[in-house]
Amino acid sequence: MEKTIICRCEEVSLEDIENTAKKHNCSAREVKLRTRAGMGYCGGRTCRPAVDAVLADVTGEKAGHQVPLKVQPPVRPVTLSVLGGTHHDN
Amino acid sequence: MLDVVIIGAGPAGLSAAIACRESNLDVLVIDEFPKPGGRLLGQLHQEPTGEWWNGIKETEALLNKANALNTKIKCGVSCHHIEKTDDGYIIHTNTALIKTKKLLIATGAAETAAPIPGWTLPGVMSIGAAQVMTNVHRVQVGKRGIVVGVNVLSAAIARELQIAGIDLHSMALPVKNTVTKDHAHPGKVMDGLVRIAHLAPSAFLRFGSKFAQSAKVREMAVKLYPSGGVKMWGMPIHIRKAITKINGTNQVESVTMSNVTPEGDIIPGTEEIIKVDFVCIAGGLYPLSELASVAGCPFRHIEELGGHVPVHNERMETPLEGLYVAGNITGIESAKVARAQGIVAGYTIAGDVAKAESAMQDVKAIREAASIQFHPQIKAGRAKIHRAFQEYV
Repeated sequence: MEKTIICRCEEVSLEDIENTAKKHNCSAREVKLRTRAGMGYCGGRTCRPAVDAVLADVTGEKAGHQVPLKVQPPVRPVTLSVLGGTHHDN
Repeated sequence: MLDVVIIGAGPAGLSAAIACRESNLDVLVIDEFPKPGGRLLGQLHQEPTGEWWNGIKETEALLNKANALNTKIKCGVSCHHIEKTDDGYIIHTNTALIKTKKLLIATGAAETAAPIPGWTLPGVMSIGAAQVMTNVHRVQVGKRGIVVGVNVLSAAIARELQIAGIDLHSMALPVKNTVTKDHAHPGKVMDGLVRIAHLAPSAFLRFGSKFAQSAKVREMAVKLYPSGGVKMWGMPIHIRKAITKINGTNQVESVTMSNVTPEGDIIPGTEEIIKVDFVCIAGGLYPLSELASVAGCPFRHIEELGGHVPVHNERMETPLEGLYVAGNITGIESAKVARAQGIVAGYTIAGDVAKAESAMQDVKAIREAASIQFHPQIKAGRAKIHRAFQEYV
């Protein structure tokens, strides 16, 4: 069967995530760090629920009350000049 | 420093802005889309009463009110971070840093992916993207397509595509994997379908109301589901067929469809290739809460509301002082509910307790009258999040 991509930005497949979760019996965060799923351009907006679903299935890690794969700013793709402060006009 | 910044110019954000302007607050609404209206813009459907719900007209009505009150609305402004300060919030956007005393996050929902092999090919889109292209940008998404994922949202949008003259082969399930499993289970999908059956014309209505009687009847209906599908608005809905693969070299050329068991497992040897040039994937919606998260708002995971939602009360206050939420970020419901929640938030922000209380009753009445519930247990979900707020303060 053809690979099913889960994280489009970093091209991480369902198989990669399942195998990583099984092999290391790890948390969503560890899966992210090991595979880069959720670390791409979209900031995990597309694959975050999917990575969660795999983890719930493989390791039994239930979605807790905190948002999975901690959300970090910037939550939108922005240029470095915006982040760097040359852009501010208050 | 502004009195209020509202992130999201959808039904919740706009109605909140109007309520704030009535009290003459200094309000700025920002939205990353080029025009205001949010996902309301794409909506076009016939209500069970026969009346049409036209999102563009509903948006115009809100904008007329907002403009009459000189409301500042900036589009094409994307917020990527929120900082809490001692006296308010700093909103980081692509154009400027904005300081405000109070902040309403009304960012709506995002679509949940239903990943299947080939879903990254050009020509595959989420059902919501197809809706925006069709009803907002007026761009034809393709010549002939198929909808993967059968739920309340996809059925409503499939009908909109049909009205726009776009040829849809059918609606079918995604192939079962650990991510898609709920959307790939014929029994679970049937339970969801029964809830929208009353929106379809007579044939399905009769069929649906039979299904609705009991779990046993539904189970039987899944077993005996016709191989040609059940037609809604003349379009076959398949819950015993799944799309196992989307095929194509540089873009979508076809999909592979197979029959599935009542549990959603592929029945070998039943494959067929269906030529299509676009595919809409529908995995449902989840509250788009990332900004509330970076602002430091606590969350609860509540299935009935669609996932992680910021803790809030019926007045739309969060435990963070000066931070409010409204619309689908608080749970997946209709635009009408979002609009009513926005009014509550606006009056709460303006400190008009009596009007806020009355608007809260409107939210309940609108929820009660809704013909579609995205989740049947929505009221239980609402009660849970409001309890969570009580625990916090």
